[in-house]
Amino acid sequence: MPGLTSESDDLAMVPVSPESEKQPVVIYPLRHGLKSPIHRLSFSWACGNTLRVSVFRKPPSEKADGDGEAGGRVVEVKLSNSGDEEVDAARWRRMAYSSVTPFALLQSRKHSLSAASRMSLDIPPYKAEWWEHVIEYSKEISSLLNDRKPPPKSIIEDPKSVVNEIAAPMCLKAAWELLEIFYVDKQSQSWIPERLIDWLADYNSLFSGTLPTIHSKLVDFQQELVGVQVVEEDPNYWDAMSSALAVGWLETVVKLLRLHGSYRFDQLSSRETENGLVEAVAVLISKMPRMRPGLREDNLGECYKTKPDFMKAWEKWRTQVSKLDCSSYWLQCDHRQTREGLKNLIQIMLGNPTVLSNATFNWMELFISHFLYIRPFTAGLESMHNSAQKCIQVKPVSISHKLFGLVFGILGENTEVVLAECSRSFGPWMMAHAVELLTAGSTHADILLHEEHSKLGGVSIEELHRLVYAQVLSSHALTWQIAPIYLTSCIKQGIGLLENLLYKQPVQHSQILLKSIEICRLYELDTINSNIMRIAGVHHWKHGRKGSGVFWLQQARDEFRLNRIAKQLFDFVGKSVSDEGFKQWEGLIELLGSESRTAGGLEFLNKYRDFRRSLLQVHGDTPTDAARNAAEALVSLMKNPSTPQRFWLPLLYDSLKLLMWQERPLVNVSQTHLLLNKLQELSMARLRPDFVEADLPSDALSSVRLALATNLGGAILEE
Amino acid sequence: MAVLTSSSQNLQVHRFPQDHYIDSLRWLPQLSAFHRNIILAAFDSETSTSSLQILSSSNSSSNPPELTFQSSLTTPSRITSLTTSQNPNKLLIAASTFSGSLLLYTADLVSGSLEFVDSVAEKGFHLGRVNGIDVSENGSEFVSVGEDGRINWVSFVGGGLSTRKVFDSNGLVSYGAVKWASPVEFVSGGLGFGLQWWDQRRPGGPVSQFKANWTRGTTSGIVHSIDIHPSRKHTCLAGGSSGTVFAWDLRWQQQPIMLSGVGTSDMSALSPSESDVWEVQYDNYTTSSNYRNMSESRVLPAMICSEDGILAVIEQGEEPVELLAEPCAINSFDIDRQNPSDIVCSLEWESIAILTRS
Repeated sequence: MPGLTSESDDLAMVPVSPESEKQPVVIYPLRHGLKSPIHRLSFSWACGNTLRVSVFRKPPSEKADGDGEAGGRVVEVKLSNSGDEEVDAARWRRMAYSSVTPFALLQSRKHSLSAASRMSLDIPPYKAEWWEHVIEYSKEISSLLNDRKPPPKSIIEDPKSVVNEIAAPMCLKAAWELLEIFYVDKQSQSWIPERLIDWLADYNSLFSGTLPTIHSKLVDFQQELVGVQVVEEDPNYWDAMSSALAVGWLETVVKLLRLHGSYRFDQLSSRETENGLVEAVAVLISKMPRMRPGLREDNLGECYKTKPDFMKAWEKWRTQVSKLDCSSYWLQCDHRQTREGLKNLIQIMLGNPTVLSNATFNWMELFISHFLYIRPFTAGLESMHNSAQKCIQVKPVSISHKLFGLVFGILGENTEVVLAECSRSFGPWMMAHAVELLTAGSTHADILLHEEHSKLGGVSIEELHRLVYAQVLSSHALTWQIAPIYLTSCIKQGIGLLENLLYKQPVQHSQILLKSIEICRLYELDTINSNIMRIAGVHHWKHGRKGSGVFWLQQARDEFRLNRIAKQLFDFVGKSVSDEGFKQWEGLIELLGSESRTAGGLEFLNKYRDFRRSLLQVHGDTPTDAARNAAEALVSLMKNPSTPQRFWLPLLYDSLKLLMWQERPLVNVSQTHLLLNKLQELSMARLRPDFVEADLPSDALSSVRLALATNLGGAILEE
Repeated sequence: MAVLTSSSQNLQVHRFPQDHYIDSLRWLPQLSAFHRNIILAAFDSETSTSSLQILSSSNSSSNPPELTFQSSLTTPSRITSLTTSQNPNKLLIAASTFSGSLLLYTADLVSGSLEFVDSVAEKGFHLGRVNGIDVSENGSEFVSVGEDGRINWVSFVGGGLSTRKVFDSNGLVSYGAVKWASPVEFVSGGLGFGLQWWDQRRPGGPVSQFKANWTRGTTSGIVHSIDIHPSRKHTCLAGGSSGTVFAWDLRWQQQPIMLSGVGTSDMSALSPSESDVWEVQYDNYTTSSNYRNMSESRVLPAMICSEDGILAVIEQGEEPVELLAEPCAINSFDIDRQNPSDIVCSLEWESIAILTRS
């Protein structure tokens, strides 16, 4: 075992993963406070990401006397949220919370749709409706992934700001959008290349950390720009523009071009031709035809919705670019950097592969530039895939970014790869939610994900991922309560796991208990509901909260246990009417109510209380009627089988004054016989070894006997 | 689901995600027209620590409000209930805890800082969770009730706390909520929709008890929250399980006035919620104009928040007005006393919502 040879008192845990070269090793110190040597370690999982480590010392040998030290200790180590570091725990929970509603809505729509279409979503009208729902779902999930607030926009626009530093994007959102582009958004099918261009523009900064990117180059140049006087003489200026143009960030290029020195008033006259060329390139760039329905804010280009229109415009634009390339004005331009730089931009627009390759830094950027300038009419995943393969050959990456893997999997139409990439790089949340996009977008994925696998216990891959996600949710004290939403969407194993989850919740925490009961109510889990209440009842009872114990057992309608605890409860009840302690019982008796069905054996307490009340009202000068009521209460108590035997004698002893009522006997012959029989039974019971003697004067029994006999005599005479 | 009239009034809702669970929250008295403070009891699940925090809310009609963190103090245990007192000399914040103690803090509204004053934590106070506390109108008498069945009276005198046991049921009854009715009377509530009226002039036990009798045959519930209106001290408003809200009038003790609840068949149609009502408070906002016209026997309008995410105003014999319907529970809310159009509530999914009615 690692760490055992160490001489130090404290151990440390070092997780070793096969990828440890890339990720720094995390060390978790174990503060067990035991003296060396440590003999044995044992590991087990506690709640969530917490690891429970039991540290044992060597058992003390015979001769060495105990040093008073503990023989071992259990410490818990909270493993930090490994994997996706871009999402901290609080943010992750926020994501989990806000994805519940869209997910639940989509599931309920799926149910109602499949009910309406009799189990098949493939019939055209339903399919179209289903698409709408999935798109709405996808957009909603996507929107919750960017809750980081953008920095406030300054009112005065800085002419030298070329890179729009919007809120830092998330890889997760980039991946989600990729899936949306390729699987869900049917309307954008014809302009997928343009959507990819937008996508790269949004997320290029994500790659900057691990790879050289155009974004990082522009950021560097932006910093440089502040100090540069004559911008057109800086080679970086031209490089930045050609890179930005290569991936279609037209607005950036035009903005940069306008910073050219020839636009300045004092130089305009002397550099007229030069300025004309710069402006001509800027105009051509801003007129570039794009095959898309509309532009995003700040974007340049001219949009064409149909392919024929676009092709026509494209040809025309290309002719204009070539015309400018061959223009005679270039000879009159004597600023070398400007001439060469502009020519380079024109080469990019003409789709020169070498220039494009020089202007881009990784295969993804090159791939995008190919769409823009070399194969603008690319359609279909297969040709995109071929193109991507070629780009990878030209610009191989040493460290593959996780998004690259996903893009390549999608282009290769390989659902297994897409799933594997998603699960490896983006975790259970992504898997549970993205499956809906995949199944909606591809029949192959639909079959693959819904097929039941016997080696997975009969569940489909879709269900498996939901179960995994629910497991992740369950392991946290704040998110466990949303796990049921995912579990109940799993047909095969969901309910079973939900039962487990509910049983595992600590009942001693009343808020969690009420939450569990609420979940049971929502999903109609009546049996579990009453079991949980029963567990809670027994727990409270054991911890001395008798009222809560009785309440929950009543709620669970557990007569068996109510009867059991009744026996214990009676031990505490004050035995004599005059006992002041009985006041405390009033509240509990109130709670019990008078219905025997819900009170079980405790019904006795209620009758007992009524009897005590009526007895306390009986004094020497009380009218006989009140005394008669008390006597009736006594007889009915004695008759009732739920009255415990140990109360018989105290009851009768307390009622001595009723039995010896001066005016007339209150108890008739047959009732007296009943009471005498009970007394006889009691005498028999006394012989048994387990009999508990009531705490009464020693002559109690004989005085009760005497009173009963007197009463019997009087009663016989009266009848 | 009950039919709900959508509120005709103009309502603005702003949500503020937090990084921790909020056990309870309250408005603090307003300092200026533009700044108000909120005190909240937060629980951080990562570190298992709980704290009291003051957030300040900027309040201008043009911009959406903003919440800014002011100060925080770690508390020894998780908070179960929070109450503030309008003591003229000092703003006191009392909190009861899971571990059975009562903590007293004072807040400086200008600097937004919190300061510890005193606590009661000895063994004889409460065993286990203190479920409810309330502070008297003069701001120096507290009453606390716990699941252990104890009721304690805590006085703040001479800068410190002194306690006196009012009642100990030895666990035979557990209490869930408490509210002062007068300087010597208070009402407690708990299991079985039970309410108990206590009068310090008659010690030894409750002077009056109420037990729900409408739950015949069905399961019963727990009272989670109680409110008493200063102008009608004989009526006690209680909210609890199964969306139940009822009023108990001491003058007609046998029969409660049902306002909402699925346990009763005639009420379920009007009930905004079907699960636990966590908090009830009389809502002074809607009635400020026709307040005096209201018949003595009618229960004043009340606001509730519930486990199924409803924040609504209910009025006797009328359809409830739903202010919020969240996908998660609303744990606690508070109506601003000086400005009853404003409400702050804490959502189960670690966020705060501020509502402004106009």
